[in-house]
Order: sequence, then C-alpha cells, then structure tokens
Amino acid sequence: MFNYYLALSLKSISHQKSLSLLISTTLGIGIAACMITYSLIHLMSKDPLPNKSERVYHIQLDNWDLNFAAIPPDLPPEEVTWRDAMNIVHAKQAKYQAAHAITWGMVTPAVKHVPPFLGIIRATQGEFFPMFEVPFLYGQGWHNYPANHVEYVAVLSKSTNQRIFGGINSVGQTLPMLGKLFTVVGVLEEWHPSPKFFDMSFGAFYQAEDLYVPLQIKAELELPHGGSSNCWETDLGDQYQAFLNSECVNFNLWIELASDQTKQQFEHYLQTYVEQQKVIGRFPKVTNNIMLNINQWLAHKEVVGSDIYLFFYLALLFLLVCLFNAASLMSTKFTAKNSEVALRRALGANQQVIFLQCLTETIILGCLGALIGLTLCIFGLEGIKYLYPNFSAFVYLDIPLMLITVGISILSSVLAGLLPSIKVCVLAPAGYLK
Amino acid sequence: MNVKSHLNRLPFARIAFRPMVSSLLRQKYAFTMLVLQIALTLAVISNGLFIVSQRLDILQRPSGIDEPNIFVLTSSGFTENFNPKASIQSDLAQLRQMPNIINAVATYSFPYSGSSDWDELQTVAGSDQNTVPAASYKLDEHGIDALGVSLIAGENFTPNEVLWQTESNSTFPSVVLITSSLATDLFNTVDWSSVVGRTLYINATHSAVVKGIVKQLQAPWSPEGLIENSVIYPRVIVRNSSRYLIRTQPTLLQHTIATTERYLSMSNQQRMIRKVETIETMRQQVYGPDIAAVTILLVVMTALTIIAAMGIAGLTSFNVLMRHKQIGIRRALGANKIDILNQFFTENIIQTTCGIFIGCILAVGLNIFLVSQYALPKLPLSYIISAIICLYVLGILATLKPALKAMNISPAAATRSQ
Repeated sequence: MFNYYLALSLKSISHQKSLSLLISTTLGIGIAACMITYSLIHLMSKDPLPNKSERVYHIQLDNWDLNFAAIPPDLPPEEVTWRDAMNIVHAKQAKYQAAHAITWGMVTPAVKHVPPFLGIIRATQGEFFPMFEVPFLYGQGWHNYPANHVEYVAVLSKSTNQRIFGGINSVGQTLPMLGKLFTVVGVLEEWHPSPKFFDMSFGAFYQAEDLYVPLQIKAELELPHGGSSNCWETDLGDQYQAFLNSECVNFNLWIELASDQTKQQFEHYLQTYVEQQKVIGRFPKVTNNIMLNINQWLAHKEVVGSDIYLFFYLALLFLLVCLFNAASLMSTKFTAKNSEVALRRALGANQQVIFLQCLTETIILGCLGALIGLTLCIFGLEGIKYLYPNFSAFVYLDIPLMLITVGISILSSVLAGLLPSIKVCVLAPAGYLK
Repeated sequence: MNVKSHLNRLPFARIAFRPMVSSLLRQKYAFTMLVLQIALTLAVISNGLFIVSQRLDILQRPSGIDEPNIFVLTSSGFTENFNPKASIQSDLAQLRQMPNIINAVATYSFPYSGSSDWDELQTVAGSDQNTVPAASYKLDEHGIDALGVSLIAGENFTPNEVLWQTESNSTFPSVVLITSSLATDLFNTVDWSSVVGRTLYINATHSAVVKGIVKQLQAPWSPEGLIENSVIYPRVIVRNSSRYLIRTQPTLLQHTIATTERYLSMSNQQRMIRKVETIETMRQQVYGPDIAAVTILLVVMTALTIIAAMGIAGLTSFNVLMRHKQIGIRRALGANKIDILNQFFTENIIQTTCGIFIGCILAVGLNIFLVSQYALPKLPLSYIISAIICLYVLGILATLKPALKAMNISPAAATRSQ
C-alpha cells in the first residue's frame, strides 16, 4: 500500500513541479538558516572534557585592593598570584592541580637549516597534561616538581616537532632555547581545544602554544608575563622577584577533584587557606573564592557571543516565516487536488487512506527540503568560515547535526501540511464530482 | 448625481470590496498563513535594519589616525648582547630619513592594536575624587606625526621631555597630551586653549600638565564604549621586542613595507623582524565580527524578502488559475482589464495591511525582547515605516505577474467549462 502512496505522491509532485519545488526550497532555506546558526552555538559550547568536566574547576581568589574590584561589579580576578599558585598547588588537596601562564622566548635550534624563531610557550606544572587529557604522540609530560626545583625539559606541539626535528620521535633530544639547553620529553598529537577554555586571555579561539615548559622555568629565566597580567599595588620596583612576591595576578589555576571528593571539601580548604593568608596581612577584602567547573566557566566567559544567539533567534523567526509560507502553498497544492481526491473517495477510499496519501506527500517534500537545506548549510558554513576566520578550525557539519536537519525538515513539512491534509480529507466529495 | 457619475469613471471607484473580502475569507487558511508571514517579515526586517544601521555606525567611526598609510612591525632581539635602546634609536633614525616614510615611532599601543593600559584621570588630587578613565599611549615627540593625528591646541612634546624607560619603571612624565573628548570630560569645556597648561592627576597620585590637545585618537581597545578618551605620555618603553609604527607617503604603503622589512632585517642580524601588518588589516580583524554580523543580517533579510515575495506570487498565481472562469464571467459582464488588475492588487493590499497591523505589534515585541537581552536602543518609528513601505512595494511587485496574466484572460473563458 505504501508503494502505491509513494507512486501517487511522486506523480502528484512531478505534476506540480514548480509548486512542489517552491515548497521544498522554502523549507530548505528556513532550515539551513536555523541549522547554520544552531551549529555555531552547538560547536562553540561543546564540552571540551565530556567525561569529567564537572570535576575540573577554575579557581579564583580575591586578593584585590580593599577599595576596588578586580572585575566590576565585585568579582575576584580570573588569575591568581605566583604565591597563591605555588601554595595551593603544592598543598595537593585535589587529584590534579596545575597553575600555568603564557609566555614566549627565542627558540634557537642547533641544526643549521632551522632558523631561530620566537616560540609561544606555556609554562605549566606537569599535572596540566593528565588533567586536560592532552594527547601525546611520543613520550609524556612531567610530574609536578617540588617547589623551587628547576628541570630543563620541554614538550613540543606536533607542528613544532615537525618544524625543528622534521616530525621524528624527538624524545630525549636536546633543544637550545631561552639561552639554555632543554631536553624534549614529549611530543603532542594535534591538539586544538576550541574553545581554549584553560586560558582565554587571548580569546576563546586562540591558537595552541608551540611549546610547554615547567612553570618554575618562568621564574628561573625571568620570562615575560604573557596573557592577562594585572596589578593593583603601585611602585613594585624593577626586580622580577618583586613581581612574583607581589599581589600581581598572571597564573591560571585549575584543579581536578577525585571522583569521591566534593566541591565543598575543596572550598573549605580554600577558605582556610585565605584565612591563613589574612593573618599575615594579605587578602584585605571579604573572602570571595569562586570555583567554576569547565561548563560554568565557559558560560561565565560568554564564549558563545551574544551576536550568535541573536542570529539564532532571527533564524528561528525566519524558519517560522518559511513554515507559514510552505503552509499556504501546501494548502493551495491540496486544494488543487480536490476533484482527484473526491474521485478516489467516491471509488471507495476512506478518509484515513487519503490522509496517509497526503502525509506521504508532505514527508517527501520534507525530504526534498532537507536535501536543499543540507546543501545550503554546507555553503553557509563555508561563508561563516570566511566571515569568522577564527572559527574555521572547528566549524563543520557533524552527523548529529545532519540528522537533526533532516528530522526538523520532515517535521516542519508535516506541520505545514497537516491542516491542509485534514481539510482535503473531510471535504464532501459530491460537490466536486459534478 | 453628477459627482457620482464622475467618480464612477475613476478606476478605483469600481473596486468592489465586499466580494473581494468574501473571496479572501473563503481561503481562510492560506490567507491567515500569508498574513502571519507578512507580519513576521515586517518584525524581522524592521529590527534587522535597525541592528545593521547600528553596526554600520560603529564601522564608520573614524579612529583619528592616517589609517590607509600606516603599517607596523615587530623587531625582536634574541642574542645575549642585543642592545634594545641602541637598536630602537638607530632604527627610528634611519626610518625617519627614508624618503617614502613620513615618520616612525616605537609603540605597542595604537588604534586596533588591542593593547594598552587604562588610567584613571582626575582634575583634583586625592583618592576620593571623581575620575575619568582614559587609554594611555606612550609615544616620543614623533608620535603624533607618525600616527597622523592633528594637534588643535598647545604644543607637541620636545625631545628632552621624553623618558626612555624599562618596563617596570613607573616614573610618570610631567607633561601629557590629551584628546579633545577627554579634555571635555575632564574640564567640562570646548575651549581647548583654556585646557592647555592645566594640571591633571593620574591614578590619584601623579600630577602632569596638559601640554596639548589632539583632535581625535581612539583608544586601542575599549572596555565599555569610552573609545574617544586617550592620554599620551612622552615615554618610550625599552624591551627586547619593540613594535614600530611607520607612516608612509600616500599610495606608497605596499612598496615601503617590502623595502623597510628588507632594510631592517639586514641592518642588524641580532634580531628578527616579524608580525608585519597594515592598520587596514588589523582594522578588518577588530571589526570582523561586526562586518560578519552586518553580512549575515543582510543575507537573512534578503532571503526573507525573497521567500515572502515567492509566497505572495505563488498564492496569487494559484488564485488566478482557480478563478479563470470567474474572471472570464466578470469580463463578459463588462469589467475591463483594469478592473481585473485592480481586483488582484486590492486583494494584495488588504492582505498586506492585515499583516502590517499584526507585524507592528510583533516588531515592537521583538524590539522589547532585544532591548532586554542585548541592551539595544528602542526601535525608532522610521524603521517600522520604511519596512512597511518595503512590504507594500514587495506585495505589488509579487502580484504584478499573475495579475497581468489574469488581466489578459479573454471573456470567452466564461463560456468554457472548467
């Protein structure tokens, strides 16, 4: 029976070619607009560590001046001081903990044919790698070293390894940089977390670093303070050590709780830590510690720009217009078939049969709409990549999105065709048979 | 009587509204859908046009500098015995002598660079006074010429006022230049010469005398829309990596970039030249999201307009098809071609008007939502009116083709059975 409906529907569609095409195109355009904007929101707010994002926390402490807020209206700074980073990391109160900051310096490979270049470096404690599930191609990272322990080791990104060592397994090789000789202990796989949740000081979609070195190297070699670096005390003096001892914030502090540990336990630890520091005269403000897990942090930082939501809402309205349009076109399409339907009814087809026939036709139109919509989506996303070069690394149409597109298209088509179909079914055949 | 017969001769006087309304009401469903579609289109187009015009205002805002003729590059020293101060001084001296270059300056801050400090300025000393935030520029005496900013009162810095400092040295200079907008905010006057010589306080403690006023110099980045407030300190910060901003003679930009880059990399082998960018490309990056927003909104609105037009045209053609015989009968009973044309146009106008009534309510509703979510200003009436005019014109254009077809139906159609 279904085959018969199908054949009849195809015949009817080919009979009213331009009208059918108009309906499908209308649906397709509306759906493409929605899916393009929705895919941006979907891809930008994707959970970077799906299996443990609720246990990985970004830590903020309010060490700011009594009379000013670090971030208006009254939020603590987003980074912590060197002292707090060291104290909290070495207290080892969570499963993993790491403070890190962006910096840079000259990389001067020993091989003649590789010219020296300015490397963008992340100085970090070793638990950064397991905490953020950083994928390694060769070797591994390092453990958190004890305080003041300096080890000249480095982890290279895949492209840096390609650039300096031609892509071979370079673990154990030496690399002169920053005026010292470093040993390569690991090489990463391609790793471009988007959004770059662990440090958004250069924006949420900034490129990955070239190299990773232990955090203590930054103090030892007095590397520049990259990323977001803020101070509230005046006249610190010229010494690098003065910056480290000051209330200047520059370090992103992240922790991962063990699965049996609660957020309250760590909050309690932070509370006691700040109270201890208050005793020695730091933290003039009311204690205001903030722990946000990855998804809360991404929401707080508004990674999905308000523009994107605006486009999405407009696209939804646009889809609604397309639906109304398709509905009025479908109504005319089915009205044109009144006499044919009347004939079938007179020959014994019941209302249900006619309804299923109309439903089949709307579903086919929906599929056609999905096809047009998907094609437009592909072009539209290319357009988005052109307009937002930052997004090009992660904008693509994944399988769930495609399935959603097809689903929404068929659903909209059925919705648009529902009322006209019912109208056709209930009409009295006699009047049209004359 | 006389007047009535005269009126009867005018084409619109012969339009019979009642049959038209009843024919529209016979297709309740299609009619409702079309009206709703027009209403939503009006809401989206009026608000969309408004957002676009707001973004265009931001895009057209001048930065105050000679944008088309400026480029920047970074010189990074990497050897042990690289002397940054000597390098900056000799580089700038050489660059300033080149015939194609108007002037050059070493600075990390310039409009679109996205990096600068913000200082709190006040006219009375003390930490309990009202402050005005301003972005700070650190430039030497060639700075304002290199940027192409014009001085409207007072004087430029002299070479011995310029402090050459390391990054952590926080000695403040004794003179500053400020923008006219900042002068107004601080001293509440538009008489620029009266501001020259006045004292202001930086971050509650350091005092400085205003030496001159520049007409306009946008902040390198703007946290909360205070983009016109900038203060210039006569300072050069010496570090291993310095950024040079170079202003060339008009139309010689591309040529000069190549020669300058070659010259600088050859003149000192202890450093590398990188990040060579023109102000125009940096501007494109800074305003990229706004350009993207305008493009996307325009595409959506165009597509929406086309969809609405297709919907109207589709329904009207269908009506013409269905009423083929009816039109033939009207023609046979004495209606002329214009009457038939009027019938379809009037139907369209009734539809559009219904849509516009609902659309105005929707447009205001959508605007209230946008105001609450995105701090967008209220929608001016002029945008709704222009959208209304657009929709009427669109409706007429979309009806044109099917209506012309209907006009040419021969009265003989009445005699044929359908």
